[in-house]
Amino acid sequence: MAEPVRGNLAGPPRYPSVPVGPDQLQALVDHTSAVIYMRDLDGRYMVVNREYERLFHLRREEIVGLTDHDLFPAEIADEFRANDLLAASAGAPLHVEEVAPGNDGPHTYITVKFPLLDAAGKPYAVCGISTDITARKRAEEQVRQLNAELEQRVRDRTAELEASARELDAFAYSVSHDLRAPLRSMHGFSEVLLADYAGTLDDQGREYLQRIQANVTRMGRLIDDLLRLSRVTRTGLNRERVDIGAQAAEIIDELRGAEPGRCLQAVIADDLVTTGDPHLIRLALENLLANAWKFTGKREQGTIGVGAVRQSGNQVFFVRDNGAGFDMAYAGKLFSPFQRLHPTSEFEGTGIGLAIVQRILSRHGGRIWAESEPGKGATFFFTLTSDDPEWTDGP
Amino acid sequence: MDRRAVNNKPILLVEDNPDDVTFTLRAFRQNNIGNEVVVASDGEQALQVLLPSSAARAFQPALVLLDIKLPKIDGLDVLRRIRADPRTESLPVVVLTTSNEETDIVGAYRLGANSFVRKPVAFSDFLNVAKMLGMYWLVLNQPAPEWASGG
Repeated sequence: MAEPVRGNLAGPPRYPSVPVGPDQLQALVDHTSAVIYMRDLDGRYMVVNREYERLFHLRREEIVGLTDHDLFPAEIADEFRANDLLAASAGAPLHVEEVAPGNDGPHTYITVKFPLLDAAGKPYAVCGISTDITARKRAEEQVRQLNAELEQRVRDRTAELEASARELDAFAYSVSHDLRAPLRSMHGFSEVLLADYAGTLDDQGREYLQRIQANVTRMGRLIDDLLRLSRVTRTGLNRERVDIGAQAAEIIDELRGAEPGRCLQAVIADDLVTTGDPHLIRLALENLLANAWKFTGKREQGTIGVGAVRQSGNQVFFVRDNGAGFDMAYAGKLFSPFQRLHPTSEFEGTGIGLAIVQRILSRHGGRIWAESEPGKGATFFFTLTSDDPEWTDGP
Repeated sequence: MDRRAVNNKPILLVEDNPDDVTFTLRAFRQNNIGNEVVVASDGEQALQVLLPSSAARAFQPALVLLDIKLPKIDGLDVLRRIRADPRTESLPVVVLTTSNEETDIVGAYRLGANSFVRKPVAFSDFLNVAKMLGMYWLVLNQPAPEWASGG
């Protein structure tokens, strides 16, 4: 039977104890990337390591007996000396950051200084170990600069945005005040001609004046719609709880009130609750439902549906009708301002409604899209949040 | 309803657009509103008419129709000074303007406008506006008594 190997149980195997001599200690301090040195209390060098020699292009024999004031500019030497004295008097290791000249400009070191004590406990020398942290310092400085630049860029961009918002405000204000006045003049004087000069105008003349008036009225509506569109961008966005179903029911009641003769069935799903700006969402729904109402006008039994489906985890709302519909080939034009897919003679409108809806939804971070077939109605889908994984393009 | 006398004091129309002056006068005439109409074509004139520096008792119209965008002193400034002066603080002021900008509407009410009416593009609609304004402010509305506006 073999004897149990005690060494294995007791811990790592023991090596024969060899005294560590000065050469070995010197080898140790010479093979580190730190700068190591020892100075007496008068600041005279006693010993330095190889890294010190390499950095300051001096051989150790030349350094011994010199002080930092012999080697460095006075300001730097003063600081080193002050730190030495601090370490000596503290009686404990001192951690400081020091700067020394290097080949490519000043280098920053993190330095530990500690005193060597004699038998009586009195300090007689100070040792220093300095590690170059210049690369880290420079990286930190670079990050700081990049951050500052980025902040400046954000400030610039914000100022630009604020300026263009102010410009847009001023533009809309001027449009609102000045563009409609000439229209009133045109409409009004046409009316004066029709009333006061009826005798000298024939039927054709009167018809032309009425056509001028119809166009002037239409232009007034276009200006109002343009202003409505710009207002959607100019007003703030307040997110609150919004009941889309309740809003839709109110709007359909209003549409019914304005045109009581229409036979229309409205189906609104339960629980269409979401978060968004109640006024803007109401405006979007008004436009979508007014469209559905308008384009089902020629149906004997119009139907409007409002509901929601889940699509890749997102709530997707929809407004559906069984109205005139449109050709999907033109679907891309639907949401651009003043684009119309039906002649004014067939369905009245300025082509701004869906542009308003799209702008409202994109301000919420959502989007809108449509599915339709001519004669078979249309469905408008929309989201009010941006966490839609299928959506990568867009504003 | 008791029969009220029609308020036949003049109307002050503060309007810089001569076409709008023409239409307003025509609309009053067509609606049989016979009140004299005093026209001020900018804010400064309006204030000279309403608040002459010499007189303690000034021109007291039945109604001020006030445009907002005016040369020299704009409509909202005129309104502010009307409300700041004891001689005119109770005067009925209807802002009658092209704009429907919310900032204008809010500003007008904050400064004490009695009403905010947007001028419609179509003249037939404007006729109707003039008729309703006349009916309300010259017939139905009970103005503040004379002694309240004397300073």
